[in-house]
Amino acid sequence: MPGRTRHLPERKTMDLLERTYVREMVRGIRLIGGRWARNLISPRDTEHEILDRKGPSEVTTIDYPDERAPISSDYRGMHRLTFREDGRPRCVACFMCSTACPANCISIEAGEYEDDPIEKFPVLFEIDELKCIVCGFCVEACPKDAIRMDTRWSSRPTLDRGTAIWSKEQLIENSRPIGPTIPEGLDGSSRLESREHERLEMKRKERAPGSEEKLEERLGPDRRR
Amino acid sequence: MAAVNPPASEIGGLQEETLQSRRAVGGEGSGRRSRLSPLRLARAVVLVGVVFGAAAGLILTIVFGLAHLLGIGGTEWVGLLNIVGVAFILVMMTATLLIVAERKWSARMQNRVGPSRARLFRNEKWAFYGIPHLAADGLKMIFKEDFVPPGAARLVFSLAPVLAFVPAFALIAVVPVGPDIMAFGTEVRFQVARIDMGILFIFAVASVAVFGATLAGWSANNNFGMLGALRAAAQMISYEVALALTLVGVIIVFQTIRLEEIAAFQDGTMWGGLIPAWGIFFQPFALILFLAAAFAEVKRAPFDLPEAESEIIGYFVEYSGMKFGLFMFAEFIEIVALSALIVVLFFGGWSIPWVSHEALQSWLAIDVGLGTDWAALAAAFVGLFAFIAKMMFFVWLQMVIRWSFPRFRYDQIMNLGWKALLPLSLVNLVVTAAAVVLDPTLSLALAIGLGQAFLLIVVIISADSPKRGMMAAAQHDHPQEVSCST
Repeated sequence: MPGRTRHLPERKTMDLLERTYVREMVRGIRLIGGRWARNLISPRDTEHEILDRKGPSEVTTIDYPDERAPISSDYRGMHRLTFREDGRPRCVACFMCSTACPANCISIEAGEYEDDPIEKFPVLFEIDELKCIVCGFCVEACPKDAIRMDTRWSSRPTLDRGTAIWSKEQLIENSRPIGPTIPEGLDGSSRLESREHERLEMKRKERAPGSEEKLEERLGPDRRR
Repeated sequence: MAAVNPPASEIGGLQEETLQSRRAVGGEGSGRRSRLSPLRLARAVVLVGVVFGAAAGLILTIVFGLAHLLGIGGTEWVGLLNIVGVAFILVMMTATLLIVAERKWSARMQNRVGPSRARLFRNEKWAFYGIPHLAADGLKMIFKEDFVPPGAARLVFSLAPVLAFVPAFALIAVVPVGPDIMAFGTEVRFQVARIDMGILFIFAVASVAVFGATLAGWSANNNFGMLGALRAAAQMISYEVALALTLVGVIIVFQTIRLEEIAAFQDGTMWGGLIPAWGIFFQPFALILFLAAAFAEVKRAPFDLPEAESEIIGYFVEYSGMKFGLFMFAEFIEIVALSALIVVLFFGGWSIPWVSHEALQSWLAIDVGLGTDWAALAAAFVGLFAFIAKMMFFVWLQMVIRWSFPRFRYDQIMNLGWKALLPLSLVNLVVTAAAVVLDPTLSLALAIGLGQAFLLIVVIISADSPKRGMMAAAQHDHPQEVSCST
């Protein structure tokens, strides 16, 4: 099909000067040497949100274990069990998550409240983080918003397999800094999300005016449902 | 535009913003929002000066101080002191620091942080620009398994690293790093060996280095090692021809092959003090050829085919531990030795342009009032400082070139060596010889050299700024977006 033919840009043949490579060498040395000097003697800007650097130091990477880039609000990693105002887990031991789990890493044992003939609760709720494939199906399956993966950290490496199995108490502990979860729909968003929003607002104010669009562009639209 | 085609406009908008901001602030085409702070630049320059001065002072102290204390001034024993002062302090230390510098500087050139994990203490204030990595590297290499592959020729396998290391190190023996001085009744030179052979010694020793690489690859019983060895042999022997022939022009101009005499000659001036009698003003073209040939001899990018870490690991593929360390270290020592050689042959060695050693010495003795002895020492310090500064510039240049340019293809290497460098160095040789024969006062040779230098400078100035080049490329690739922004 002739209409689809794409013509590559015509390739320029090198002139004699270019083929001697001397001028090209000088050009390269100027560019790389200049970058070397700038990056060597100017202080590194540790603001990792900036991709298009214009300062004297153009170093974009971070000194990893000492500095860490903030984890995106979209990140899903370590599980947490949400809890109610009175401290009980929101989980009702319906086994939806462990059924949905393709890696079979959730084991639940159900128990019944003495005063409540209908609702159950998990006596045992364990997640083997070594088996977990971080697919998020458990979160999707949960009818009570009882399990989430928005702690923004992953299960840490261990030297002992036993410590990679997280108990119910530990999983609830993961939710503690966030506080008891108000069910979705009552105020539209969880507290974690509003905190995230606050953080972004702070950042926006800190940065010089005019850079707001760039930050927005960089973070992208909120893809949460 | 945004309404018509959202994704395209997004990309275009980004570029537009980038280009606009670059254009808006740059002024003289710098395109940077904030420039290098002059204070930091000054601080860096002072720091570098202090380091160079410390090195010069250390060499002066060791060579002159010990010679004076032991009363061996003027004898051949001074050479022994120079092994400590020049070979160990200057060359060995620089090469050792280059191991870290290569990693740290390449990181800076590529906008990275670079190695910073080896520290004296846990705090990152103790990272010292990654210099503790020296110790980490050394310890690592010493404690690695000393592996000899099955089927290897054991003796040759063990000998090859030494054969690669020793010639690189021996190169520095004939290089004078400072002026001869006479102070407090002690006569001292800053050169390990003062021999008649001079440049010939360098040719001879440099050509031994090829054995190290070739035997290493051959003895390891490894196909890739063998390939690397073949490449090394072909490349190094090819370039040795051009290397030697370019230097013949220098020999003709200076009419000696003793490096200390070449350095002393360059201390003077030509045309009644108008131009320093440096090799570069006589032989700028030979300098370019020599640089190319010398880089090929060191076997570093863009001439690193024998190593070629991305295709064959190279002639030292089977080496581990300190044997590999010797190859690596030999490379860095070669860089330093080569830079020293370039400085002595083309950039006046320890001399300062327009100020001769005698003039400086008498100025220091009489006008500053240091007295003859201290003036001689101070002049020697200045000479050593000048040499170290020039040498480090060429070390830096080799680093930048290594991290700037892609590796040549094999046929390009051979074409460059045999079809370009060899004939051009022959032409240079003939022209230089004719000029010296026609005018033994070297005025004609200098005029020809300056003409060549002028041509080279025109070529170099005609190179537009790299950033403007990129701008032009961006305009070429995305003419629409750019036209929107203007």
